[in-house]
Amino acid sequence: MSDDIAVGIDLGTSYSAVAVVQDGAPQVIPNEWGERTHASVVSFLDDGTVLVGNNAKKNIITNAENTVYSAKRLIGRFYFSDEVKKAQAVMPYQILEGPNNAVRVQVRDKVFAVPEISALVLKEMKAIAETHLGREVKQAVVTCPAYFNDNQRQATKDAGRIAGLGVLRIINEPTAAALAYGFGKDIRQKICVYDLGGGTFDVSILEIGKDVFEVLSTAGDTYLGGDDFDDRIMAWLADDFLKRHGLDLRQNKYCLQMLKEAGERAKIEVGRDGTAQILVSGICQSPEGQVLDLKQKLDADQFNRMVMDLVQRTFKVCDEALQSARMTAGDIDAVILVGGPTRLPIVRQSVRHYFQKDPMVGIDPDEVVALGASIQASALLNRDAAVAGQASYLLDVTPLTLRVGTVGGYAEPIIDKNTPIPIEKSKTFTTSRDGQDRVKIRVYQGESKRAEQCELLGEFEFGGFRLGYRGEVQIQVTFEIDSNGIVNVSAADLETGQKTSTTISLSSGLSETDLQAAIDKNAELALAGH
Amino acid sequence: MDDKFLTEVQALAGAIDRLDYFAILKLPQTAGVAEIKAAYHRESRAYHPDRFAALPDPLLREAIGRIYRRINEAYTVLRDDAKRRKYVADITGPDRAAKLRFTEVDEAQVKEEQKRKVEQQFGQTPNGRKFYAAALADIQAQRWESAERSLRMALMYEPANAKFKEQLAFVEKSKPKADAFKIR
Repeated sequence: MSDDIAVGIDLGTSYSAVAVVQDGAPQVIPNEWGERTHASVVSFLDDGTVLVGNNAKKNIITNAENTVYSAKRLIGRFYFSDEVKKAQAVMPYQILEGPNNAVRVQVRDKVFAVPEISALVLKEMKAIAETHLGREVKQAVVTCPAYFNDNQRQATKDAGRIAGLGVLRIINEPTAAALAYGFGKDIRQKICVYDLGGGTFDVSILEIGKDVFEVLSTAGDTYLGGDDFDDRIMAWLADDFLKRHGLDLRQNKYCLQMLKEAGERAKIEVGRDGTAQILVSGICQSPEGQVLDLKQKLDADQFNRMVMDLVQRTFKVCDEALQSARMTAGDIDAVILVGGPTRLPIVRQSVRHYFQKDPMVGIDPDEVVALGASIQASALLNRDAAVAGQASYLLDVTPLTLRVGTVGGYAEPIIDKNTPIPIEKSKTFTTSRDGQDRVKIRVYQGESKRAEQCELLGEFEFGGFRLGYRGEVQIQVTFEIDSNGIVNVSAADLETGQKTSTTISLSSGLSETDLQAAIDKNAELALAGH
Repeated sequence: MDDKFLTEVQALAGAIDRLDYFAILKLPQTAGVAEIKAAYHRESRAYHPDRFAALPDPLLREAIGRIYRRINEAYTVLRDDAKRRKYVADITGPDRAAKLRFTEVDEAQVKEEQKRKVEQQFGQTPNGRKFYAAALADIQAQRWESAERSLRMALMYEPANAKFKEQLAFVEKSKPKADAFKIR
């Protein structure tokens, strides 16, 4: 079919965007009200429909328990992880424990897996694209932070499937941004993508050659983003309020939401105007029944002091990425800024100072990722490419070292970080008991030798190989990381080449039956406003 | 997409286990760092799976995938000096046929080798390191006698350390020749 179409979706922590290539030019698709980015907020309304986007964001305060935001911070995480604990403390919606240490979100009487929430955001993006294009959209390229691990990528992919989208590819946000900027066709240059999003921070170092975008290294922090800047302002406001009135605004989730909104607004204002007037009238009531207002003034110096350590943390990550690429900041020819918080003057100045170079700002930092994703989407549908070649090939890397668990709680590396993907690597295991009929391995991702400090991807059990004395049977396990950065594991008997059966005995993801159920459940939920 | 290319891809995918990494990247064994990178980019343009993503033939896509994974594998080994040295030694040796792929065992050996080198450089026992560091400081300050003593102490802890022995020979050579029988 020549009329196949695929969109690029930037599924962000706080905002999402969708773009498509039309007549060879990538463009962001606005919704009916002309909004080009959409809050990644899902609000469940009384009538059973679901509101997604900037209108849903208003409900964070008025309909707090039934409005889910920042789901990306939870996606692909285990219930016991720190991020989930932190989210439970501040989020007004219910976060529960599901089977296999998974995270579930309860809204009204329904329980959702996190990918199901993200799927609703994707469904909204799909609907926006369909309204604008006047046709059905079934395929998409979805982006994720470069530093996402396998669990998070798998969950993002599941979200696409639940939303009824064929996910052609999961690509890394910084790589997508580089693609959107395009760069000269025949000029070799080394670029750095500085991607400070709502909830995550990524750095990628790329070398651009003729038609190829080779990622040399990538590093990141999945716990650092614009939200943390808001938190600093919130903490300051709350402490100040406590001192004045003796009331802690953080104790009440309703006040907390107002505070959060005020913090975010102040951050944007101070970045734009250099000073911010904060006024939230009637934020709470004193025990005497007096209605209290929150009133403050924040200037740029004060704000910069508050967040300086966060900004400095990003450069630690830059150091790490440069070191992996065996470069120094001086070797970089161009710097691209991605993500809303990079609009802040403090961030821009620091980036300029670090790289001794003015960063490139040609494309809106909120839209650049979606644009890049749409370029990749259209390239993947291009059937002429097989003969004519493509305009640009992405040579991406895996951000984290893949490991297998060994005795004593250690995890030994199989595929190092910053290895180009797709790639496969084999490792041979032997039986340790006579007549052993199954081998179990645990797969991890992370940079620590200790298994407990790495992220557990899953436990695989191989069976159905021939029986023998201990040490006699050798199982060759092949680990493959595909172009999405997703890990596949298979095993074969080394001597006979016979494939063994593989069962995943532990995994954070959704099973096939769960997925089917989720797809049906998602189809039933109608989006409000369409 | 012509048939010639299809048969070529199938043939390459079938023969890939018999090719060494240099053959996969179409490089001579003498290739330098820049050539390896250029070859990797060239082969990526030819065999990148994205280029063939829209084609309906799953067998072809599978073959391309096999080839491209091997291209990445070749690139990861050849761009790393230590791994490349080991790999070249392996494929020029008698076990060539069994050594065409760089396995986890090879990887472990390279790491071991690097670790040994570092240890040789600085010593592998705490006391050896301490005396060796003292000796280096003495050499800097040209206190030859003291340096010699420290190195001999270091060698007591690590008798096999080649770096220590080398330094000791250097110190013995540079130290001013004293008349052994002269009484001061």
